[in-house]
Amino acid sequence: MSIFEYNGSAVVAMVGKNCFAIASDRRLGVQLQTIATDFQRVFKIHDKLYIGLSGLATDAQTLYQRLVFRHKLYQLREERDMKPQTFASLVSALLYEKRFGPYFCQPVIAGLGEDNEPFICTMDCIGAKELAKDFVVSGTASESLYGACESMYKPNMEPEELFETISQALLSSVDRDCLSGWGGYVLLVTPTEVQERVLKGRMD
Amino acid sequence: MSRRGDWVYENNGGTCVAVAGADYCVVAADTRLSVGYSILTRDHSKICELADKCVLASSGFQGDIKALHKNLAARELLYQHQHNKRMSCPAMAQLLSNTLYYKRFFPYYAFNVLGGLDSEGKGCVFTYDAVGSYERTGYSAQGTGSSLIMPVLDNQLKSPSPLLLPARDAVTPLSELEAVDLVKDVFASATERDIYTGDKLEIVVINKAGTKREYIDLRKD
Repeated sequence: MSIFEYNGSAVVAMVGKNCFAIASDRRLGVQLQTIATDFQRVFKIHDKLYIGLSGLATDAQTLYQRLVFRHKLYQLREERDMKPQTFASLVSALLYEKRFGPYFCQPVIAGLGEDNEPFICTMDCIGAKELAKDFVVSGTASESLYGACESMYKPNMEPEELFETISQALLSSVDRDCLSGWGGYVLLVTPTEVQERVLKGRMD
Repeated sequence: MSRRGDWVYENNGGTCVAVAGADYCVVAADTRLSVGYSILTRDHSKICELADKCVLASSGFQGDIKALHKNLAARELLYQHQHNKRMSCPAMAQLLSNTLYYKRFFPYYAFNVLGGLDSEGKGCVFTYDAVGSYERTGYSAQGTGSSLIMPVLDNQLKSPSPLLLPARDAVTPLSELEAVDLVKDVFASATERDIYTGDKLEIVVINKAGTKREYIDLRKD
């Protein structure tokens, strides 16, 4: 039993036309028992930058707290928000610091950068960054998510269509994974607004 | 696993898919044979036509798969001689299950999908694990790309619940052309993300007119 499969998780982010969407499942389990069905895995760093953390839940929460701390310090010093690319490098550095005793998390970072250009990336638990132009996935349902996203994604989707696509991909994928599910949480970010929606899927 | 002196299996990769329709069945598999990170050949068929309305696609260890297909083809020929007719798909499904369970304690490393037409001419798909547990379904995927493909098939072909009354058919209302297009799409997606799937796609369509075979190119990287 892998430590990455202890809690169960599914996180996905997709790029659309001048917007992005980041989504996660809502289950928190301890191996086969479900503990919570409203667990938050996607966190806000600032208005145009979000991070989803899959893997061990305690490490996800601790890592989030450390990242928020670092970002607040950055805001005080620089008097501005961090760019998504910079934040991604920060996360990568923080993870690699623990190279021989890592955080058991796989982050998915999504944000709007300069000129509201969407940015997504993922990394492994020791900070190897992987930039993508289309979508990134992580968690116990990652293989299913790869298949579903690869089939359903097309470039330059408008926000409504992007929301529909990411929701269908997430729900279909977690339905084939016993450790993730119990609904979904989708955040759609455009330059002018942020929409949060909770999806109802198979509650098992 | 292969460091052990006694590990007798290897996984040659590949993905198999089958979709059942009202009066047809689509069985498809890629044609790549791999071992480790190498490709052995780009042109190897994983599909075996066991009877005129019954096609088996298997992925896993090709040594065991070759032996299994040979075994079943021989049993089908015996059946033909003894009963003066070809084996029906549901009969072959049971035979495959029994053949796999016969080697319960030294299994065939084969992940099978059996597709064809049942005695009423309706499409049927049977999906198996390595030791013979089987189920009749409307669609299935097995092999290295199965976890990438199944959620997409679920989304497009969702089977009705077996708890519903009156009982609904698991076969898809899609037309033959639409089902073949869906299969091509899911393989294209699986090829992108699964290193063991690619090269060519072999599609076999069984309907009352007979069996048709088609080859589509997939990414070769």
